[in-house]
Amino acid sequence: MPFYWTLATILGLAALGFFLGRHRAVASVGGERRKLHSLRKYYGINVAMKTLTPALGLLVVWLIAQPVIVEWRVSDLVAGTDVADTRVQTLVMVDVRRVANGLDTAVAAGVLSEADAASLTADSGTIRDTLGDAGVALGSDVSAPVLAAAQRYRTLSARADLTRTVAVLAVALLGLGWSLRETDGDFRARNVVEQGVRGLLIGAACIAILTTLGIVLSLVFNTIEFFRIYPASEFFFSTTWSPSFGGGSQLGILPLLWGTMYISLIALAVAVPIGLLAAIYLSEYASKRVRSVAKPALEILAGIPTIVYGLFALLTVGPMLMKVFGDGGLGWMQAGTAVMTAGLVMGIMLIPFVSSLSDDIINAVPQAMRDGSYGLGATQSETIRHVIIPAALPGIVGAILLAASRAIGETMIVVLGAGAAARISGNPFEAMTTVTAKIVSQLTGDADFSSPEALVAFALGMTLFVLTLGLNVLALYIVRRFREQYE
Amino acid sequence: MYDRTFPENAVTAQDIKIEAKGVNVHYGDTHAIKDVSVDIQDKTVTAFIGPSGCGKSTFLRCFNRMNDTIDSARVTGDIRIDGEDIYDKRVDPVQLRAKVGMVFQKPNPFPKSIYDNVAYGPKIHGLAHTRADLDDIVEKALRRGAIWDEVKDRLQAPGTGLSGGQQQRLCIARAIATEPEVLLMDEPCSALDPIATGQVEELIDELRRDYSVVIVTHSMQQAARVSQKTAFFHLGNLVEYGDTDEIFTNPQDPKTESYITGRIG
Repeated sequence: MPFYWTLATILGLAALGFFLGRHRAVASVGGERRKLHSLRKYYGINVAMKTLTPALGLLVVWLIAQPVIVEWRVSDLVAGTDVADTRVQTLVMVDVRRVANGLDTAVAAGVLSEADAASLTADSGTIRDTLGDAGVALGSDVSAPVLAAAQRYRTLSARADLTRTVAVLAVALLGLGWSLRETDGDFRARNVVEQGVRGLLIGAACIAILTTLGIVLSLVFNTIEFFRIYPASEFFFSTTWSPSFGGGSQLGILPLLWGTMYISLIALAVAVPIGLLAAIYLSEYASKRVRSVAKPALEILAGIPTIVYGLFALLTVGPMLMKVFGDGGLGWMQAGTAVMTAGLVMGIMLIPFVSSLSDDIINAVPQAMRDGSYGLGATQSETIRHVIIPAALPGIVGAILLAASRAIGETMIVVLGAGAAARISGNPFEAMTTVTAKIVSQLTGDADFSSPEALVAFALGMTLFVLTLGLNVLALYIVRRFREQYE
Repeated sequence: MYDRTFPENAVTAQDIKIEAKGVNVHYGDTHAIKDVSVDIQDKTVTAFIGPSGCGKSTFLRCFNRMNDTIDSARVTGDIRIDGEDIYDKRVDPVQLRAKVGMVFQKPNPFPKSIYDNVAYGPKIHGLAHTRADLDDIVEKALRRGAIWDEVKDRLQAPGTGLSGGQQQRLCIARAIATEPEVLLMDEPCSALDPIATGQVEELIDELRRDYSVVIVTHSMQQAARVSQKTAFFHLGNLVEYGDTDEIFTNPQDPKTESYITGRIG
């Protein structure tokens, strides 16, 4: 039975279980619902839950484990032929899988009979054509061991699929039977369902956390791998970034870090004053009507995809700056792509970020502070300068740090607006590049994933991750300290 | 200031600090204060009592135009301090609030040092020209606020670190520091424990020597203890106004009697 049918069947069983459980609960108290411990529906949910959960769990585990086990059982067939190391074996396995899938498709299309597929030999030399007829394109002729492996792969997979279906259905039925047995008027179905809800929530949280952990671990392992083939001191302290895919690259992070910092600094210099003043206007001066229009309008800026900002930098801001600072004007700027271009546009992108967070923080300053200041005869701007801003300052600093960590992680604007030259220079009208932009260019080539030129991306990513994580932690710490003051 | 004093009531004008006639306050569609007229005497503690939501705080906030900071509030009628119409176009509400100090229900020291809390008003209004002047004003205000002895050694400590009662006295000192003529207090003891309340009440009695004090309170005992004049509000109306002793021993209006004996409220 195919996978989807298995899934549909256990879902059907669960639905059936819901009604059976509900009915059985009511029947067990002779139709007097008030004698039930829980509401009728809880008995149904309990049965459905116990039918579904173990079966689904088994299905998921099986789906993950089956290919691994099957490949392991097949691997001895192709081992020793052209297997040099694990990396090549993986490639061979891909071939095996492709041939096996091809045979499946051919059988399904009626080009081959089930018996033919199993008895096919590599000598006939027609496999490629036969599969081609069925619409499966193979890159090269199939060698004998691969074909044999593919055939065994098919048999094993078919057997495993069958076992899986049987096992999953058995578990579902067991769950159904067991939960129906325990259903009677005194059974505390409501509490059990509560436990189930709890489990569901814990599961969701775990998936989120485990994914994060997985990403971090993959970063860490690849970074370690990189440092094994490239000296760490060179990476951290060299001022030259010149990757060459032929080997002999110089991969110093400093020019990239400098570009990142420079662009982020310009971005913050744009975003912080404008965002903060806008936030003060919105939270203190604007009437309710203006606020209800202006705040969402400002937040639309936050909804614009960064690639659009990148285009804006490339097509509008760059040429505009060129007019003033370029050859026709002051002559400081060689091309439209420069630190200034990217920084200005990134600053615009960060305005809603700063203003929205600061606005929330300023609004959190108790009205009593304002009253106290007005009551002493202070004007609105005196109140803001002397009372509100000092009170909100830790929160505002937190908001700025969060904005900074976004600026550091920003990619698309830099790729399109800042150029690609890795250099350390003080001139903001020169092209520079950032860590993120270089990660993109290191991984989008044809580089071998085991070369330092590709692995350096992970080390760059790790550095970036540590940097933004540090900023975020600092920001959250400051914001939290601020909150405690008034609660 | 412009001269509007009439010779025939010059005598009473000395006694009467605030003169309110036919005051109405609306919050949007709600009619919060209905045609209230009251004369508040100088160097007297006047208490506004009444059940919650009767409008006594709203009325108090008319005297320093704090209602201006609420968009939906609309005040009509005639309120004069020392004969001057405070709702006249020529009056700057910001200056007015320096003259009419206010202490709020919940102690609200700024998140600054004790010194800076008190120095805030004088700095804004330019009352001190030198650092020594300012030190002097701060010390005087803290002494008048009966908190000097407790804080003189830690003037640079944050004002928010004080106890509730100390915070409230700090707020009173802060209000005094701008040298107001009238002190408005909106339930100044409702967030304090009995001991702190006692200290603040003692202070209010002290302040009567120099200021006209108007206090809104929920506690009838407090009104009886600290005030000389009492006004009883009910549902936005001024029901009765007179000497505190009279109001508590011999109320004229049956509603006042019901309230002070605890039957409504």
